[in-house]
Amino acid sequence: MDEDIYKRLCRAREFMDDCYGLPLTLDQISRQACISPYHFHRLFRQTFEQTPHQYLTDRRIRRAKELLESKPIAVTDVCFEVGFQSLGSFITLFRKHVGHSPRTYRRIFIVRQPLSRIPACFIFMFTGKPN
Amino acid sequence: MITKLSHSTLYVKDQEKALEFYRDKLGFKVIMDVTMDNGFRWITVQPPNQKDLEIVLMKPLAGPMLDNESAKAMQLLLDKGLMGAGVFDTDDCQKTYEHLRNKGVEFSQPPAERFYGIEAIFRDNCGNWFSLTERKE
Repeated sequence: MDEDIYKRLCRAREFMDDCYGLPLTLDQISRQACISPYHFHRLFRQTFEQTPHQYLTDRRIRRAKELLESKPIAVTDVCFEVGFQSLGSFITLFRKHVGHSPRTYRRIFIVRQPLSRIPACFIFMFTGKPN
Repeated sequence: MITKLSHSTLYVKDQEKALEFYRDKLGFKVIMDVTMDNGFRWITVQPPNQKDLEIVLMKPLAGPMLDNESAKAMQLLLDKGLMGAGVFDTDDCQKTYEHLRNKGVEFSQPPAERFYGIEAIFRDNCGNWFSLTERKE
């Protein structure tokens, strides 16, 4: 593949890494590579073995997992923070990718990480650092 | 608005011994028992019919919030049984008294009539004193 095309595809991929929290369209993404949406879609899939949409969904789900593990924020807020526009499709996609609903994923994670259930005032007493 | 007390700390000299006492003698449920990387062990137990309270069995160890002198002072107070007390409710003081005594719990006072009900007094194996109270309606 032409090196210039590859660089442009990478630029579009980095754009998704930076802006996955926004409701991105194929037009917007392909514009970063200065390639028409149709050709961009085909070239992206050939190069990275997944469609731009699949890449974006993976990125969003990965971030959603991080948020569910690290912040006690509502599943709805996680959904919108990572760029999904509908709670229903977020939950469906999350379950398909991860094997559990977001709520169940968080519960399982917390059970496996019992330290995350210790109240912060006690953590502070014994480590001198806020949780 | 504060709605309830969810965690209460009970200082104990020996967490393992305390865990045995509260779990095996009093029949409390162990909710958490984990050890942090720095050695701090977090144990919480719960009376059988009180699902919204966890009693933290805490060892007074020197650390960021407790200097050596204070930790030693707290351990001394525990040895002397001066670290305060609590009250556990029961629906039958006499029966629970006999049951716990058979399990080896040390009572300083057998069940006695009070204005507020029937009360016995026992201690755990780490220097803490408790009333065991059957309340009048």
